[in-house]
Amino acid sequence: MIDRAFAQRSLDALLRRGFQKARVRLVGSDHHELQAEFGHTNLLRTTHNIELGLLGIVDDKQGSLALNDVTDDGLAEAVDNLWAVASGSRADPANDISQAQPKRIFTSGPDAPDLDLMYERLAEVLDYARSKYPTLKMGSTAISFASRHALFLNSNGVEFDTTRNAYHASLMFTARDGTDVSSFNYTGTTLAALDRPLASLATTDTLMRQTTEQVRTRKVPQKFTGDLIITPDSIGDFLGFLIGNIGNQPLISGTSLYKESLGQRVADEALTLHSRPRDLVGGYFVTGDGYEAQNATIVDHGVLQGFLLDLYGSRKTGLARAMTGGGAWVVEPGTTALADMIRDVKSGVLITRFSGGRPNDKGDFSGIAKNSYYIDNGAIAYPISETMVSGNMASLLTNIVSISKERADFGSGIFPWVRVGGIGIS
Amino acid sequence: MSIRETNLAVYGNHFSAYTELRLQRNSSTQISLLNGDVVANTKTSDGGISARVFKDGVWGFASRPQIHNAAVVATIDEATRNAALLARHAARREIVLPRAKAFNESDFATQRPRLTQQQSIEFLQAIDAHIAMTYPDLKSRSVSRLDLDMEKHLYTTDASEGYSNTTRSLISIRMTTTTDAGQPVEYSKTFGGRGQFEDVFTQPGALFPDIAEIHRHLMNKRKAVAPRAGAHDVVLDSDLAGILAHEAIGHTTEADIVQEGSVAGDYLGKLVASPLITLVDFANTYLGETLPVPIYVDDEGVESRDTILIQNGVLKNFMHNKESSVLFGVPPTGNARAYTFADEPLIRMRNTAILPGKDKLDAMIESIEDGYYLLRPSNGQADSTSEFMFGVTLGYEIKNGKLGNAITDTTISGVAFDMLKTVTMVSDELNWTCAGMCGKKTLIPVGMGGPSIKCRVHLGGV
Repeated sequence: MIDRAFAQRSLDALLRRGFQKARVRLVGSDHHELQAEFGHTNLLRTTHNIELGLLGIVDDKQGSLALNDVTDDGLAEAVDNLWAVASGSRADPANDISQAQPKRIFTSGPDAPDLDLMYERLAEVLDYARSKYPTLKMGSTAISFASRHALFLNSNGVEFDTTRNAYHASLMFTARDGTDVSSFNYTGTTLAALDRPLASLATTDTLMRQTTEQVRTRKVPQKFTGDLIITPDSIGDFLGFLIGNIGNQPLISGTSLYKESLGQRVADEALTLHSRPRDLVGGYFVTGDGYEAQNATIVDHGVLQGFLLDLYGSRKTGLARAMTGGGAWVVEPGTTALADMIRDVKSGVLITRFSGGRPNDKGDFSGIAKNSYYIDNGAIAYPISETMVSGNMASLLTNIVSISKERADFGSGIFPWVRVGGIGIS
Repeated sequence: MSIRETNLAVYGNHFSAYTELRLQRNSSTQISLLNGDVVANTKTSDGGISARVFKDGVWGFASRPQIHNAAVVATIDEATRNAALLARHAARREIVLPRAKAFNESDFATQRPRLTQQQSIEFLQAIDAHIAMTYPDLKSRSVSRLDLDMEKHLYTTDASEGYSNTTRSLISIRMTTTTDAGQPVEYSKTFGGRGQFEDVFTQPGALFPDIAEIHRHLMNKRKAVAPRAGAHDVVLDSDLAGILAHEAIGHTTEADIVQEGSVAGDYLGKLVASPLITLVDFANTYLGETLPVPIYVDDEGVESRDTILIQNGVLKNFMHNKESSVLFGVPPTGNARAYTFADEPLIRMRNTAILPGKDKLDAMIESIEDGYYLLRPSNGQADSTSEFMFGVTLGYEIKNGKLGNAITDTTISGVAFDMLKTVTMVSDELNWTCAGMCGKKTLIPVGMGGPSIKCRVHLGGV
């Protein structure tokens, strides 16, 4: 589907033009998607694309270009454009390309989609929703198969050939009982095979059931400081502040709250956070800066093990380059059963979806607890609405009370339930 | 193959069912300076052909990056096969799409000489140097340029044809400093809108007064106080009223969201807001002014028309594509829009605004004894229940009708169809923004507008 010779010609053309360092990424992708709306399968979509990414460095000045005209004429024009982009920039000695590594070929996933099975699984989950949850209204529900073949070459001799194919299921739903309407909710899972009903994936069935319960909600009884039990569906929102603040921009600009925290405790010792791009179906083989991706532990028993700096960020700050490009997050399970975790909460909220403003640089946050429940004296009391939760993202991680034994696997991440204390709830 | 000059009508003889054929290229430029260093310097171009076919009540879609003759024919054939394949499983033959024939050409490309990349970088460096020299108290600064040109050519079974080149250019400026306790404080603002860079930004110095305002607000935020959590009287400035119109009301009145169960489905013809509120999704023009995202013919070949969503407080209409218009028994409104060539059109807003009233902003602030003046949103989300949330990155206390301390970043929330009933004053100006991207399966640029409104909302805080 994609032509290695064209990728090589692209790299040669960049060097001939005068770039001292160059990088080429040629990606061919096919995407098959079956989509249902309002309970009816109504769209079969097939898209093909080829993308050419070029990066060149001349006299420490860097530019990049991405296009999907992969003809020799298009290449010649792109090389000239890239020269104008890069040579017009400003020199920065931190600009660089990845060092030489052994040539590698990586593959994962099935060769081709099973369209009949995709249709069956979609029809099955629509039937399941209709029969088990009559008040549930299925919105956009889709199964897709993405096939992606990429060649990565650079002028240091790096050459990676990667093929990654996977299914992805996404479901969105609302419940309506008479004129009472729930909040919408959604979930998604990346899969190597469609070997199970979609409703059984990750937390899907739980979310469908909860949504039907959420057509009638109440506010929390009063403003209070209490616990949050953060579900696997929403834990990403609460890890995002830490992850976002150990990357290039905040560390280069010196605004990161965690700039002096390497080797220091940034979370309760119950938290261990890995990035596992090589293990997860929704992972990747090569980092954005051109290195073979490696699994890495970012937080080990609460202690920050490394920053998420790429090659540029590393050269700019003098700190170590991350072996992972981030993502494919996995949180280690804890020792508390979810049922016990709920039983231990005197007053709090089980939060399934966080709809909040972006935390500021200090980590202060506030937002609405969506599709969530009030917990009173160790039991889930009722579904809530118009309930704001607020606190500080950095403090939240140090205030982890317990982590569940159970986890949900979304294919692109594996997460448990996490209980934290000291959250403002109003 | 020029997108504009390509004769798409010649492919009509390959159409065997209702078909939309679209040639499209999105081109963007991104340049970012972080403390003077160029940390992003890239151009992208993503284009190709797509076909969408409606047969027996289901859709087939296909796209390819090549735009030569054989690729166009292959794409039409593949979309037709996809529709036929799906129809064997899931036909719904009762749905017949309305016919629509329209024609339009609109091009918002600049007539000025284009800047080279070097000139573009020098433009940003001039802004950056001004900030570095004028405001040495900053811990960090960033200046970014982000352009997007969306060029489309559409031809449909009904011989509807549209060419558009819809352009947008933005400059974002972000400043960070620290409090006396050493904690970071930031404030950012984005400038620009419809048009290519040369038309929108003529010289760096034109932004210096706005940059001074960013710095002034940032210094106020250094000493910001936390807002009190709970319900308060507030004045939402026009940026926040615009995002309220889009997120909290607009999405709930998209016909596909109504079909999914949106609470708005029960409110048609009912009072949902103060009679002071009229809210419209404009197609392209308001009071003779071309709006930030002008859509003349949508991506189903329907002539776009203004859609009055709320008139004097009463919910009047929903936004439609062809298929939803059949199900609701109304004409399509021209709201079907696709982001890239590889995306099918969805029901999307265009330029959504609350119309201005008769009040003066100063009088609105003076009328509040104890509340807040909220100016700048960050992100926002809404729900099928019309419950909304917006991040607020700039706000001030109002005490006895006068502005007080800046407040720390917060979040506001409410149920839109309840909150709009609390509106008691609407200012007499209308400001448009075009900096954001709306997310709904795919991204798409939208325009948002509003006056300032006085109402009651829930604030996050201490």
